[in-house]
Formats: sequence, structure tokens, C-alpha cells
Amino acid sequence: MAMKKLINDPANLVKELLAGFALAHGDKVSLTGSDLVVRAQAKSPDKVALVTLGGSGHEPALSGFVGEGMLDISVPGEIFAAPGPPRVLEALRLAKRDAGILFIVLNHAGDVLSAKVAMDLAAKEGILLRRVLTHEDMSGGPRGDGDDRRGLSGCLPVIKVAGAAAEQGRSLEACAEIAERMEAGMATLAVAVSGATHPCTGDVIAEIPDGMMVVGMGQHGEAGGGTQPLKTADATAEIMLDALLEDIHARPGEDLFVMLNGVGSTTLMELYLVLQRVKDLLETRGITLARSLVGEFLTVQEMGGFQMCVGRLDKELKALWDAPCSSPVWTVK
Amino acid sequence: MQFPGLDGEIVMGAITHGLLARMLRGAAAEVRENHEWLSRLDSVGGDGDHGTTMVRAMSRMEQALEADVSGKIPALLNDVGWAILGVDGGAIGPLLGMFFVSMAEGAEGLEALDVGDLAAAFEAGLAGVRAQTKAQPGDKTLVDALVPAVEALRAAAESGKEILEALHLAAEAAEAGAELTSTLQARFGRARNIKEQSIGTRDPGATSIALLFRGFEKGVEPHA
Repeated sequence: MAMKKLINDPANLVKELLAGFALAHGDKVSLTGSDLVVRAQAKSPDKVALVTLGGSGHEPALSGFVGEGMLDISVPGEIFAAPGPPRVLEALRLAKRDAGILFIVLNHAGDVLSAKVAMDLAAKEGILLRRVLTHEDMSGGPRGDGDDRRGLSGCLPVIKVAGAAAEQGRSLEACAEIAERMEAGMATLAVAVSGATHPCTGDVIAEIPDGMMVVGMGQHGEAGGGTQPLKTADATAEIMLDALLEDIHARPGEDLFVMLNGVGSTTLMELYLVLQRVKDLLETRGITLARSLVGEFLTVQEMGGFQMCVGRLDKELKALWDAPCSSPVWTVK
Repeated sequence: MQFPGLDGEIVMGAITHGLLARMLRGAAAEVRENHEWLSRLDSVGGDGDHGTTMVRAMSRMEQALEADVSGKIPALLNDVGWAILGVDGGAIGPLLGMFFVSMAEGAEGLEALDVGDLAAAFEAGLAGVRAQTKAQPGDKTLVDALVPAVEALRAAAESGKEILEALHLAAEAAEAGAELTSTLQARFGRARNIKEQSIGTRDPGATSIALLFRGFEKGVEPHA
């Protein structure tokens, strides 16, 4: 698969994309001298700050989640590469406050390690923080085996509710509890229908055979999933939803949210078909689709497919979901 | 301490700041020479960029060496560590960075390192790495090369070996440890996804550690 992308110098790609991103969303975010993405209007220092880190190439994630009622700072790395600890530490220093920092880390080896080193160094400087790990990819391993489950697009709803709690002036402990409750009640499953290339090297990072789809692929096309013939939107929705409902032990009478995250080249048209089927399937199981979110939030270049994230919403989480926010990907007035 | 004489004779009592810089440059050269091999090893279970990442780390280390005006061993190690920590991507930047940052702490206040000091500094470096990863010996990671290398250095110090011999034994132990990883199944990092397919290939991280130690030795050899 030959790469076809409109880029300039690959060595300068991340710098250029961040500059353009900040320009496009200048009312909500701005860029620091060392390429940290911060809120255009800083949050009051007596409120808990939210910080995250992660590789680039997944736009609009993760910097698209920065804004009022969501993240305070994102630390973008190189393409598909965790930022090194010095810039993560710089972000933690920038966010330092008595109220503390909620540090959201997606479970990927590089991110976790970089975050840990930065946290150890931050602790020596008296920076108060709590880490919340998102690891909701059910294809990684059995529930409870947190190390093997990677963090996919489920970080977005976690950031939304925890960010809303922080904006309301809730304590670090309370924000962490809310983030962990949201995270514990959710699961994500990915399906890929076509592959992707690395924008700097042109290397194929995932390849899907003609006529096939793979259920259970990770963010970078890591091995370990079910390859099967391409199915209809309805059939794909059913396979994925069944697996997810079983994973979170969903019961009749519950309220769930469903997020459909297009990963690059799958159309919104397709995602709307899937959502419609998901709603019907939930109804037949006596489950209410309480909230839904459809779009491109965390992409993998031109990969085709989507991530379905399903999670429990109690009364408090629903209220936080509906609370005002203003970020490039999600705005609630 | 004496520098290698023109006759090639080496009488080395301690690692000075200057010799440490040579050790580090030797390590950078060794990695650069073998980076394609490292990437090939990584393409089996990872995304094939380990060699490139290591070269980036070594370039940053060399920049730190160029910029160093402290003349002090702990400051140099700390600068090198922070430079490597700044490499984006993968586990190697944070782990190798913390290795040197922790070594700096282990060498705090020392103007020169005799064999025992060197062993202690490397032990501090190893502890710094192990504080950051749950990987144990046998998990097919860089720990499998680093642990035997540091143990060999300590054993050499205990038995009164001089520095070049001690570094040679450490390099041999690192290489043996790295070679042994080809018989192991990956349990960490992305390579764990391919499970038994990882058997038969050396771990790229462990191989990098072996190259670093080989480079440390070459860096202080008389002809270096």
C-alpha cells in the first residue's frame, strides 16, 4: 500500500500540525513554546487541573480534548511516540497547584513509562497529583488484567466527566473517583476494515486483507484480533455490542452511553448506521441508550474502521456528561 | 590515574571525567554501527524503530557531552540522562535516561570512580531502571542484559580486577545475557502480543545494553 499524504518535511510534521491545530482552535487552546497544548483561558488555580500525554498522529486526540470543562494540558509526542519525561514534567510543573493534578494516562507502554518517570520526579518537587490509567480495550485480555488492556478512545468520556467535576470545584479525590468509576464501567472494542501508513516513513502500520475485517485491533494495529469476512453495518454492530455488553456485565434496566469513534477513513454515514442498530439492539435487551457520541475523536491516520466504547452512566455521571464544556472536539453550552 | 601511555600500556586506577566521556562516546559509536541490526530485531515483535530511537538517544547523549563544561562526573551523567529522557517514543528513552540519572546520584560527590565506585554507580543506575519497570530477569527485556552486566562489574570489583578488565567482563556478561533472550518468550512491551513467535530472536533492548557495555569497554581501551 503506497502512502498518499499531503505533508511537508516529515521531520517537521508534528511542529507544523500542532501550529495549525492551535490556529484552527485559537479560541479554545494555545500552544506553549515547548509545544504543550494548554487552554486558551487558564482554569482558576483553586480547581483541580487535568493533564494527559500521548503520541501524535491520532488527531484530534489528545489535544482536541483540551478546553474549558475538559483537559488543562496535553503533552503531545512525536508520531505514535510518547513524549519523553522532561516535557511531561514541564506540564506537571505548569499545572502545579494546591488543589492537585488529575493525570490521565492511556495504557500504552511508552506513555505509562514516561508518565511514571515524570511522576517520580514531580513527587520530589512536591507536586500533588493522582494518576488515573485508562485501559478499556477489551481485546487486550480478560477484565481485571489491567496491564494487558490498552487505553483507546474511552479516555474521552473519562476526561469529560472528570473535567466537569474539576470545573465544579470538586476535590482531587472526588475527581479521581469519578474518573475511575467511569473507566471501570466501560469497555472499548475496535474493528478495522483497511490499513494505515506511518506519515513520516510511509511504512504500513496495519494491513487488512481484501474483503476482510479485523475485530479487536489496537490503536497502532498491534497483533491479536479476529480476522473475518467483512460484514454489514448491522452485523458488525451486533458482534461488537454483544462482546462489549458481556464484558461490562450490562443488565436490563441500565443506562449506557455509546461512543462510536471513526479511526480515519470510515465515513460518518457508516457510523450513523451502526448507531441506529446499536440503539435497537439495546432496546431488545431492555437497556437504555442514555447518551451517544459519534465522530472522529482518536484516529489512526487513514485506517478504516471504528472503536465502539460502551459504558455505564449513573445519575451523577450523566449530569457531568451534560455539564458545560468547550474543547475542539466537544462543546456543551 | 594515568592515561594510556604511547607504548599502549594502560594503568588505570579510576574513571575520570575525561575517561567517562570516552566510555560514553564509545557506546554511541557501537550503537550507531549496529543500529540497522537493532531495528531488524525490533521488526519481529515491535514496530522496527528501535535502532532509530537508539541513534536519536545516542545523538542526544553526544550533544550533552559536547555541551558539558562541568568537568564533574555526576553532572555529566545527569545531563546525559536528561538528554536521553527527552527522546520521544518507546520504553528505551525513559529507561536509559533514568539509568544515567540514577548513576549520577550513585556517583554524587565523586571526582573519579575506582572499580568499586563504578560498580556502585552502575548498581544505582540499575536500581533506577528497575524502579520504573516491573520487568524481571527472564521477561525478555533490557533487564536481562543489564542485571548480569552490573553483577559482573561488582564481582570484578570484589575480586580486585582493574577497570578495563572489569568493563570487559561486564560487556561479556551483557552480551551473554542479551544472547540468552533469544530463548525467551516476551512478556513485556508490544512484543508480548506475538507470544511464542518472539522466541528465536534476541530482545532489541537487551541487545542495545550489550552494545553500550561493549562500547564502554572500547571507549577506554588504549587504542580507542
